[in-house]
Amino acid sequence: MMTATAEMPETTVDQQQDADALFVTLYTELHRLARRELARRGPLGGLGVTTLLHEAYLSIAGKDGAMFVDHARFMGYAARVMRGLIIDDVRRRRSEKRGGQFHITSLDAERAERIASPEELLSIGDALDELAVIDPSLAEIIELKFFCGFSFVEIAAMRGVSERTVQRGWEKGRIYLHQAIAAASATTAQ
Amino acid sequence: MGSLAADRWRALSPYLDEALDLPVEARGPWLAALRERAPELVDDLRGCLAGALDAEDAGFLDGVALPPPSPSLAGQRIGAYRLVSIIGEGGSGSVWLADRCDGHFRGRAAVKLLNLALAGPAGEERFRREGTILARLRHPRIAHLIDAGVSLTGQPYLVLEHVDGETIERYCDIHALDVEARLRLFLDVLDAVSFAHANLTVHRDIKPANVLVSAEGHVTLLDFGIAKLIDTEPGWHEGRSAEAVALTREIGRALTPEYASPEQLAGGAVTTATDVYALGVLLYVLLSGRHPAGSAVRSPATLIRSIVEEVPLRPSDAADDTSHAWDLRVQHAARFGTTPARLRRALTGDLDTIVARALKKDPAERYGSVEALAEDVRRALRQEPISARPDTLGYRTLRFAQRHVTAVVTAMTMVALVSVMTAVYTTRLAAERDRARREAAKAVKVSEMLMSMLTSADPYTVRTGGEPTVRALLDGGAARVQQELVAEPELQAELLTTMGRTYRRLGQFDKAAALLDQALTSGTAAFGPEHVRVAQTLHDLGVVQADRGQWAAATRSLEEALAMRRRLLGASHADVAVTLAELGRVYQDLGDADLAIEAHREALAIRRTTLGERHRETAVSLSDLASVHRLAGHLDDAERLLRLSLSINRETRGERHPNTAVTLHDLALITAARGDLRGAHAQLRDVITRTEAALGPRHPVVAAAWHNLARVASLQGSRQEATVALQRALDIAGGALGHQHQLYAIYAIDLATLHAAAGREDLAAPLLTEGRHVRAQAPGVVPSRRRSLGRVDMPPAPGVYVTRASHRVPVHP
Repeated sequence: MMTATAEMPETTVDQQQDADALFVTLYTELHRLARRELARRGPLGGLGVTTLLHEAYLSIAGKDGAMFVDHARFMGYAARVMRGLIIDDVRRRRSEKRGGQFHITSLDAERAERIASPEELLSIGDALDELAVIDPSLAEIIELKFFCGFSFVEIAAMRGVSERTVQRGWEKGRIYLHQAIAAASATTAQ
Repeated sequence: MGSLAADRWRALSPYLDEALDLPVEARGPWLAALRERAPELVDDLRGCLAGALDAEDAGFLDGVALPPPSPSLAGQRIGAYRLVSIIGEGGSGSVWLADRCDGHFRGRAAVKLLNLALAGPAGEERFRREGTILARLRHPRIAHLIDAGVSLTGQPYLVLEHVDGETIERYCDIHALDVEARLRLFLDVLDAVSFAHANLTVHRDIKPANVLVSAEGHVTLLDFGIAKLIDTEPGWHEGRSAEAVALTREIGRALTPEYASPEQLAGGAVTTATDVYALGVLLYVLLSGRHPAGSAVRSPATLIRSIVEEVPLRPSDAADDTSHAWDLRVQHAARFGTTPARLRRALTGDLDTIVARALKKDPAERYGSVEALAEDVRRALRQEPISARPDTLGYRTLRFAQRHVTAVVTAMTMVALVSVMTAVYTTRLAAERDRARREAAKAVKVSEMLMSMLTSADPYTVRTGGEPTVRALLDGGAARVQQELVAEPELQAELLTTMGRTYRRLGQFDKAAALLDQALTSGTAAFGPEHVRVAQTLHDLGVVQADRGQWAAATRSLEEALAMRRRLLGASHADVAVTLAELGRVYQDLGDADLAIEAHREALAIRRTTLGERHRETAVSLSDLASVHRLAGHLDDAERLLRLSLSINRETRGERHPNTAVTLHDLALITAARGDLRGAHAQLRDVITRTEAALGPRHPVVAAAWHNLARVASLQGSRQEATVALQRALDIAGGALGHQHQLYAIYAIDLATLHAAAGREDLAAPLLTEGRHVRAQAPGVVPSRRRSLGRVDMPPAPGVYVTRASHRVPVHP
């Protein structure tokens, strides 16, 4: 799961455990905040998610002090958690036969909405799992943008890189996911 | 094409980067050309690029995935109001149009649902109490706060008078109001703010969006005091990390720093002077049609720098910008119902002066009250003399900045500030000893601001050229701090530490060491022997001692700083890593690889945890560790670490930063160690260009690169090139480090060997004598990377490589 650290040569077992513990804390906290937010404000807009993540950051940074000082790293983990929450929700709804239709909200002015099928989101989730192993940085960009609603500008600021770098990463990640999903559906069809 | 395997993807990845930067129509020819370079990848790449277009067309991954919607909030009841429709949404919450529904009254209101977590019943109580105070503020030009409360579901909300109108900026432009009409509207704004100040309420968030003008021209201010209401609770900041506090502040401000004052950005006290500043920005915008920060508003970083440091253009110059095309200027003036020349004339003089006074960086220099500002505006309208005086120095400084470079002006501002501050301090100390003591905390704030300005003269922070001027200005400032702040040891210690560091970065090690020594004495006197600031100064001193080649002293200072930091901050604090990194380099210089590795590994572990895997300081530790590996001959390990470090440096610091150049330099040394001399030669040439551009041609880092180029050239048999390069290295080292430095000695002996090989014993002999004499004082020491970079890491005896290149030369150990 913690592929983000796999390329680092000196990751020790201890660091791995720290990172896992951190993930669990974060997951619990975000889960709590997301439930509260849903109960309170209705649907999570893209804006709602980013606000939520800031709030989670404060809440956890306050508790664990220096552990989460790095904002970018925190947002990376948080985005993965967010993706997990949404995909789990799709799975649960589908198994409960409550209709797992998800809305994909466009952030542009017309606010056009597209309805995605649960299958589409689940296949995106599976392909992202693959990508996270091969190229964790690209997977994170997709998570930050598609599952959390951060803009390229915000992600660039978070990572301290140019907007163009983020956009290129996103285009590459999209290529990977697109190919992976095409390949998976071809296999199923046979 | 199937799902891409990991190794396949890694092979394709760099080519995709290339292709995606091309316009779509250029990708076909690019693929065709690629048949030469990488024929095996062409098919996969074509598939990927076609897939990219399909994905784009299908809108694949556009937008944001959301959970299914819950019922809308419309119709929901909040207090005595029912939500009708959403009016706006922003970082701080959403605003709804609402109808009163409790049967007693009828009426519309705006309900603001705040994105705000209140800390339990105490927080809710405080929110209601503050709301009650604001509700008492009644003025015809202030939108009334009707109610503040928390709904049954725990949602904090505000009910506000609903106001219909345009923002003042838009209203002025739509109606093409002339300067006089704009000033009259502005006076209405001042009237409302002045009333609120008299009732002890500061707005804190004055901006055009909060000033609405109705169709009839009636001005109403929104959100009075609400910024404070949604600010965090008292005491919340204690024990939180600086980042957490900064982030909260950011959220409280709803991410619009354009109208923030310098003291708000610096986290200083917010007073009525803060509103005066924001009113100054508003007036500037109304009169000139643009923001005082000019084009710097585009990025938060440049905006903040501009607000804190830069004197804005005069409104008259901003309103009629002669660098713009004539038709644009005419168009712009038309928004004021006039011509460019008339607009400029209307603003030149009093209005320029009034705006400049309201926009002073120091709250104490602004108008003392909103009423004083209003009085000057009224006088200007009546064409009577105003109270504010033109600030010629400020404008002159600005023109200087336009002609020259920002680093120079930053240093000038710094020197001016130091002079003003020391003058203020010495005068006040004589008069009011006790009060000065009470204000010691304020002095620390002042010096922090100075420090940030000082470090702007530092080549590692900005690189804009003009270094001799910066240095001359620094010298003046340093002298004053040394002489005039003797009675203020805390302030003196801090300023001397910062200045010492800046001198070090400029490569002036002797001056740096002298200032830091003095800073240590003042700091110990002011703070006691065991204090974080003393530890900082000790650390800085240790670094400079190492720079000067005083290894024993450096080890002592750094070990002491490390122990003190561990005691005061705990073993895994980021500052502990900083000292560990420096100590690791000193151990490495002394040839103790085990201790060096231990220190660098510990530093790396701390930075990964506290700063993150891809933080720029983590990259520094990766490079440090790589250097030890390289010297131990583990070239593959070293290269892997350096490549990782390089990618982080490029990402976090950019191509032009010295650290990026230094990492490339280290990679070049690996290329050389692998025997690829041609490759290493080209890489080192590139590094020299980069470091000269980033640090200036006389920096020791540049000398180290020349030295290594000389070594490679010599191994390639180009003795002529090697001699020239080494002479450059020697000249730089002699100037920047002095003739007693070990690096100077190493370069001298190497150059002597080259001269000897060329048969020039006459040139070789004096260099050899001088070099050997210095080397004899510390024969085991080889100064290492980053500090000097000039690590001779092939066989350690100087001159050996020359024997390899030409077997005729005797080796002088």
